[in-house]
Amino acid sequence: MTAVLRGTDRAAFAVALADRLRHAGVPAGLTQVDDLVRALAVNPPVQLSTLYWMARISLVRRHEHLATFDRVFAAVFAEAPPLPLTRSAVPPGRRDDVHVPVPSSSADPGPGGGLPWVTLPPAVAEAAASEAALRLPERRPAALAGLADRPFEELDAEQVAQLGDALRQAVANWPTRRSRRHVVSPTGRRVALRPTMARARRTGWEPVEVVRERPVRRARRVVLLCDVSESMRAQAAAYLHLMRAFATVADAEVFAFGTRLSRLTAVLRQSSPVEAVEQAGAAVTDRFGGTRIATNLRALLASRHGDALRGAVVVIGSDGWDSDPASELAAAMARLRRRAHRIVWLNPRAGTPGFVPRVAGMAAALPYCDGLLPAATFQDLMDAARQLQSVTWTAGLKWPALTPAPRIIA
Amino acid sequence: MKDPLALARRLDAVDYLVDDGLAMALFLALKLGKPLLLEGEPGVGKTTAAKALARALDTPLIRLQCYEGLTAGEALYEWNYQRQLLAIRLAEAQHTPLTDADLFSAEFLQERPILRAVRHPGPVPPVLLIDEIDRADDEFEALLLEFLGEAGITIPELGTYTASTPPVVVLTSNRSRELHDALRRRCLYHWIEYPQPGRAAEIVRRAVPGAAEPLIRTATEFVGGVRGLELDKAPGMAEVIDWVAALSVLGATDLAADDARWTIGAIAKTPDDRAAVATALGTHQESQL
Repeated sequence: MTAVLRGTDRAAFAVALADRLRHAGVPAGLTQVDDLVRALAVNPPVQLSTLYWMARISLVRRHEHLATFDRVFAAVFAEAPPLPLTRSAVPPGRRDDVHVPVPSSSADPGPGGGLPWVTLPPAVAEAAASEAALRLPERRPAALAGLADRPFEELDAEQVAQLGDALRQAVANWPTRRSRRHVVSPTGRRVALRPTMARARRTGWEPVEVVRERPVRRARRVVLLCDVSESMRAQAAAYLHLMRAFATVADAEVFAFGTRLSRLTAVLRQSSPVEAVEQAGAAVTDRFGGTRIATNLRALLASRHGDALRGAVVVIGSDGWDSDPASELAAAMARLRRRAHRIVWLNPRAGTPGFVPRVAGMAAALPYCDGLLPAATFQDLMDAARQLQSVTWTAGLKWPALTPAPRIIA
Repeated sequence: MKDPLALARRLDAVDYLVDDGLAMALFLALKLGKPLLLEGEPGVGKTTAAKALARALDTPLIRLQCYEGLTAGEALYEWNYQRQLLAIRLAEAQHTPLTDADLFSAEFLQERPILRAVRHPGPVPPVLLIDEIDRADDEFEALLLEFLGEAGITIPELGTYTASTPPVVVLTSNRSRELHDALRRRCLYHWIEYPQPGRAAEIVRRAVPGAAEPLIRTATEFVGGVRGLELDKAPGMAEVIDWVAALSVLGATDLAADDARWTIGAIAKTPDDRAAVATALGTHQESQL
């Protein structure tokens, strides 16, 4: 087990924590700091709870101050949300002791927000006291990266929300399509006739300066369909965040399906993520039930949103367990294939070693897909979001190299 | 004893169950040699903590019960006037010269709890329990400061006694009066919460070995709910133990309305509280059905 405050200057830690408490209104003087330092020396804390009790017993002297202490302690030690990308996002206030800007998670961040006592965070984990062979310590992941690698089942609601935010930032490199319009650009291949002539006016109608133009690329529409049936229960919350990321960042249509199809684009575009996810949860009435992928695909193709599929990148998040016959799914996929630009299938089980798409639905749908990506962790989802672009560009060869059985039911 | 867990196990062996916070508080009090101020609602086991600590360390418990008007003579030391007078008489009769130094020597000193704790020979330090410090006067608090800060007592005629093995000092307070900051500063501080239902049931099980398991569970849960009511005096662990003991004397194996009504005095100590708890008991029974 690793110590909580490994490689930390105990005195600096105690002084900084007491300082923070004083600013919050808890009179923690030198005696208290001395107590804490000695306590830390007597019994180096192994768990955060131990450190909590140690600090509380030695720094707080009144019952009225316990609530404030809890708040300050939580602000410092609770798992912080990801670092702000811009410098201006660092909470205002005292900057004298802020070395590592970690915004606090509490509503009132209080003055400062850093961990001034940290000299340098250890980049490698402590070598586990292994009884067997000599082992080298492993490099530690950043807190968020570590979370992102964990399966959805092991995350709690708050962590999912944090990762949902990170996911939104990862949805960059949106797939584009070439539009019919052109824009003046020095890298363009085509000569722009009108601007070239306009310039030629200055040189006695001699086209000395040739202006070029290139086609405008617009964001390609993405349609995301997520399975929220019982077999996808663990992934449902994370997929809601993926849907929200898609719906807010770019022009995407998002649908959830179990036994029936529900369009969530409008609901998920709200500004408050908590409300959006809550309302989306309420809107999907058939959650954690059965799955009818083929029926839902047919419904989507026939609905008034079916036009959104035209030339779109269709992303389907499902494990492929379908209660409809596989032949129907193959037919629906074939129709979808003709209407959509690319189809990407996200399967939470695809990342497991030795995965073979043996489920009837999955096997039937696979020939029509341009890609099958794993989606068991947030890292997978982020990778998938980044790969949408490249999926669009790998024109021609389909994956896997199986020829679909042709069925004409369009 | 190297960590709070070891101390918690030792306390467990003498039938006192502690949570992480109290274990850490007692452990730090032992290791840092600082007095520990325990606060909490009445009946959460503040005094019992000190007693259990003494038993766990296998060392004498020296108890000083505070009350209004407590003076240095009853807390620190006193000169034995009778013996001094006798000594003077004896000296007169024997015509031996007598000086002040002879009269004010250690043999005429009457030890009171705090001096006894300071002069304890060791090697294991005694546990000194200064109970309900909030009942004593402000002046008495000031009197304690030297002892709490340096574990020593200055007797003007004899000099300063400093403890060879500083005693483990536990102060308890019911917060009937705010203690002075100077006193608080010299102590470690821990606020004891009511134990969680599971732990409470375990405590009652240890305290009342004969009680039936369903009775213990329902009674601790019920009292946990009663604490949420607006009572003059919320029932603590001591009251729960009394109540369960009373009920099991009556032969109850589960919380039944009749037995509970008769024994309600164990947890409700004022007429208003009695009425409130009796009402709660009625609704509790209905919800059980």
